[in-house]
Amino acid sequence: MSRYDNAFSAVRKQNRIAFVPFAVAGDPDLRTSEKILRAYLSAGADILEIGYPFSDPMADGPVNQRAAQRAIASGITPARFFAMIRRLRAATDAPFGLLLYANTMHHLGCEAFCAAAADAGIDSLLVADMPPEESRDLLKAMRKHGLASVFIVSELTPPERIRFICRQTSAFVYVVSRLGTTGVHRDFSTSVRQTIRRLRGLTSLPLCVGFGLSSPRHVAEVRDAGADGAIVGSRLVSIVEKEHAHTGAMLAAIGRAVRRFRKATICPSGRRR
Amino acid sequence: MGRSRKRKGYFGEYGGRFAPETLMPALNELEDAYAAIKRDRAFQRTFRDLLRTYNGRPTPLYHAKSLSGYLGGAQIYLKREDLNHTGAHKITNSLGQALLARHMGKKRIIAETGAGQHGVATATAAALLGLKCTVYMGTVDMERQQPNVFRMNLLGCTVLPVDSGSRTLKDAVNEALRDWTRTVRSTHYVLGSALGPHPYPTIVRDFQSVIGRETRRQVLRQTGRLPDEVVACVGGGSNAIGIFGAFLKDTSVKLVGVEAGGLGLRTAKHAVRLTPSRQSRTGVLHGYYSYILQDTNGQIATTHSISAGLDYSGVGPEHALLHTQGRARYTHATDKQTIAAFKMLCEKEGIIPALESAHAVAYAMRRAPKMPRKSIMVLNLSGRGDKDIHHIADAAGLKI
Repeated sequence: MSRYDNAFSAVRKQNRIAFVPFAVAGDPDLRTSEKILRAYLSAGADILEIGYPFSDPMADGPVNQRAAQRAIASGITPARFFAMIRRLRAATDAPFGLLLYANTMHHLGCEAFCAAAADAGIDSLLVADMPPEESRDLLKAMRKHGLASVFIVSELTPPERIRFICRQTSAFVYVVSRLGTTGVHRDFSTSVRQTIRRLRGLTSLPLCVGFGLSSPRHVAEVRDAGADGAIVGSRLVSIVEKEHAHTGAMLAAIGRAVRRFRKATICPSGRRR
Repeated sequence: MGRSRKRKGYFGEYGGRFAPETLMPALNELEDAYAAIKRDRAFQRTFRDLLRTYNGRPTPLYHAKSLSGYLGGAQIYLKREDLNHTGAHKITNSLGQALLARHMGKKRIIAETGAGQHGVATATAAALLGLKCTVYMGTVDMERQQPNVFRMNLLGCTVLPVDSGSRTLKDAVNEALRDWTRTVRSTHYVLGSALGPHPYPTIVRDFQSVIGRETRRQVLRQTGRLPDEVVACVGGGSNAIGIFGAFLKDTSVKLVGVEAGGLGLRTAKHAVRLTPSRQSRTGVLHGYYSYILQDTNGQIATTHSISAGLDYSGVGPEHALLHTQGRARYTHATDKQTIAAFKMLCEKEGIIPALESAHAVAYAMRRAPKMPRKSIMVLNLSGRGDKDIHHIADAAGLKI
């Protein structure tokens, strides 16, 4: 059983969905971001979604772009990043998903990047600007090194394309809750329910919803819509941004936020749909 | 990446469609719509008529005798793209894509702009065709191209300042792409150069290919033979690919692209992608695989050029292919050489060139004297320089 299989079946037994917090590695610096990821885990995160910072993150909103800029300014390198992942991996069996951009991948080369990621303890890769059509060589390298794949589906993705994407996906489908980039948003698209219903008819892969989930109510909506996991990013990253000068206060605020979000993953009564 | 030859949307191993999934349906829709209008006679006729009656095409090919005589070598012919409506070659692509947007039933178009020329061109096309228009522009560029910001406002377009990253063209592209991921249903993104995810490099090249077709016809008519060299400045590369296209099979014609040398290759302050340097490697930016300026950790490098239109970290994928094949040669001109060339063209020919185009003139200044007097150099004068006079005055320490 992979770490993903274990994580998804564990939450199912607990009658809840997976809580998947996101952080940009190296934000505000590598040491603090390691503490942030540990805080996520001790507050009850089931899966970690970790972003490798890129200077031009076109699929991200302003909050995550500023986080990436802080991380780059603090001097993150692939080598230092993988060393941090290795330390975290020694402490937990939670799955680690890595979100990155194609240029980072190309910089080391697919083969070398996948080898290093797998060796450090990463479980899956999602390359934000590499649709399946551009991922042939990457998928080959990922299979060779035992890395699982994550691809994105949005409300605009037509059914035949959903089938095509799901054939290349092995960890979970990242369901974009609304159009646009990542970011904190008040309005939560009702179309997510429809998208999940459409996906359920086409695949048995786990479905995790992200982009714009900024309150526990959003997590509850995602849960009630029938998802397997809720990904929360910018809301948590904005805590890092606000408190990056006070690590203690930041970690406390993050712990509180993650516990509130996680509470919303529990199905109130009866069985999980 | 790697073994990708002959794949859809690739130029050799360059290009591709490195786009977020949220844009894939829109890119597929655009690809289909473009394939349809390519065969659509009514569309092509409307486009041609607009180019003739609204743009002022064909633009002249002008024998710059005074400049040629002064430099004492090759006969220099200027392709006067600066005489297009709105003052640069950009309008041709903007009109084509705005017509395409209308054809697809989109009510709104968006664009990025560096020098402001593509922004003005797109705002113009939007006004003409009754489309809503938003242009993203880096705050650094807004500062150095204020007349164009005002021009866009006059045309009824919203200019949104981009304050992220290096606050120049590359960041404006990021913001435009972000806007598009939110608004794909109603909006078409009018990308201004021959780059971005497939099908943009092909669409922009095709719309701009009229430059090369006209030039080839004109030079044959005026001189009875093909030129020895065809020269163009290269930012993203749309004016260059536009004029090169018609000459690709004429192997006797040397094609030269001139990049922005900024403060020189020994500094990190330039935008030279196709001359080997520590910063220039292949990579992925804004949806395409090409030569990209980046640091040792794979982060995109910031660039510098006196001309906002060439101040960009990536280069269109077809140029990467022509460079690799050796079919086109790429060189650069520094800020200093460019200002000297700018002044020379003003004084010798009474033409104020855009700073972007002045890079090609700078190349001609050093190259033409070494060529025989009977040889012919065609230079794509991609835009006029009225927008740059404040900037030139600042650089000279003058107040207008």
